[in-house]
Amino acid sequence: MTMVELKNVSRVYLGQSGPVYGLSAFDLRIAEGEFVCIVGPSGCGKTTLLNIVAGFEPPDLGEVLIDGEKITGPGTNRFVMFQEHALFPWLNVSQNIMFGLKMAGIHKREREERAAALLRTVNLSDFSTAWIHELSGGMKQRVALARALIMDPEILLMDEPFAALDSQTRDTLHEEVELVWQRTKKTILFVTHNVREAVRLGTRVILMTAKGGKILREYPIDLPRNRYLEDVEVVKIASQIRDDLRHEVLRATKEEGYHAD
Amino acid sequence: MPIEQEEQSDIAKVRFFAQGYHVWRGRAARLGFFALLIAIWQVAASLELWNEVIFPHPKEVADAVVLGMRDGTLPLAIQASMQRLCMGYGISLLIGIPLGLLLGRKRLLDDTVGSLAVGLQALPSICWLPMAVLWFGLSETAMQFVIIMGSLMSITLSVRDGVKTIPTLYLRAASILGATGWRFYWYVLLPASLPAIITGAKLGWSFAWRSLMAAELLYVTSGIGSTLMMGRELHDMALVVAAMILIITIGLLTDRLIFRFVESLIHRRWGFGGRG
Repeated sequence: MTMVELKNVSRVYLGQSGPVYGLSAFDLRIAEGEFVCIVGPSGCGKTTLLNIVAGFEPPDLGEVLIDGEKITGPGTNRFVMFQEHALFPWLNVSQNIMFGLKMAGIHKREREERAAALLRTVNLSDFSTAWIHELSGGMKQRVALARALIMDPEILLMDEPFAALDSQTRDTLHEEVELVWQRTKKTILFVTHNVREAVRLGTRVILMTAKGGKILREYPIDLPRNRYLEDVEVVKIASQIRDDLRHEVLRATKEEGYHAD
Repeated sequence: MPIEQEEQSDIAKVRFFAQGYHVWRGRAARLGFFALLIAIWQVAASLELWNEVIFPHPKEVADAVVLGMRDGTLPLAIQASMQRLCMGYGISLLIGIPLGLLLGRKRLLDDTVGSLAVGLQALPSICWLPMAVLWFGLSETAMQFVIIMGSLMSITLSVRDGVKTIPTLYLRAASILGATGWRFYWYVLLPASLPAIITGAKLGWSFAWRSLMAAELLYVTSGIGSTLMMGRELHDMALVVAAMILIITIGLLTDRLIFRFVESLIHRRWGFGGRG
């Protein structure tokens, strides 16, 4: 069943030197339970795509359907994990995790039980009363993950959530995301610039064009799970995608050169 | 293991004493500096370079404070001023904080009411006194009006600016967490702009304090400003200086005791980066 559907979506920004296409006539279908990773050179519109699906930005043209229904703004059926944690500094760890449930009017005892269970899932039980600034980068993203999971959204949108972390921390978080996806079969749209990360996690990797906001190529990843970043197959597919990416970047730079002449 | 723990606690002790040393050295330096100033004052007064009426002895000023405290005139004056201040300032906070939150969020309101507030802020608060006296007569209400007009705009505008600089990330997180309507204002916007609210409250307090002193000076009733004016009329320079020192003391005390405390609470919660 189709969970997310983008139909002919365009988003244009007015830059200093003319219009910049975040997305143009963009079509995409994501089935329920898919783990789709978007990669592309920086400035290719991958974050625009995520913001539009989240409802943070409206598309200039076209529409986005979630479960067959057109979206008009942010909603609690989609949850976003940002590159920076976006946790509230005025609340402690467990208050941050419970915040969404509090807004939904769920009783305090239930909130606390569910938060405690999720803190165990992300291995942060000892830090439930810590303030956000006391945590390391990896711990913050684990709290952000718990805060996302407690909302039980249909779709998880992840905007380079692990880009700022060191590689060991990132490995652990990959495992946690993998576990969550296998256990809950949530639909995940994951934006990253790290090709190997995309191959390690995704059921499908989408490479975007450097300019113009279009899909360049799609790669179904049929490798068995769990995968690791060092798996030969992962490395092989990733290097193929990286080659395509490099060609695309070169092509775009050349084109730019012609324009400059 | 026990050795390591002991070492750790030693490090903590050293840190603690090092920090304490810096704090106490700072305090000693400050104390010494002011003692020196008073000593210079004492010497200058003893040399009798100026007439005693225009340049009183430190002891006379101290006597004026002690006498005023004993006969109850100074406590009464302080009480009268503080009551006015708390009332007017309290009303300013009650109006200014919600208004600032709204202005930061509602574009139309900011373009209209916001620009009015910016305009009015250019007017020194004491300029409201003639209007206040014509409207409310020589009354407490007139004083309150001056205090409110003096502090309301700065509180409102500080809070508004704070709201406008809340990271988009928090606002986006709020929207996907389902914080809408009043819940958004109460659970997200208010705490997120707390640092700005404290800044605004502090600024508002100092504006209110200045407005009150100006009003009490111009229009004699009770209060410390009036005590200061009375000193002038009686040619009692010691009383004038005593009143001035009291005004400084009250200003410093509120800053140190109330605002520093709240600010340090917030800094601790937010981490060192302010809004990180």
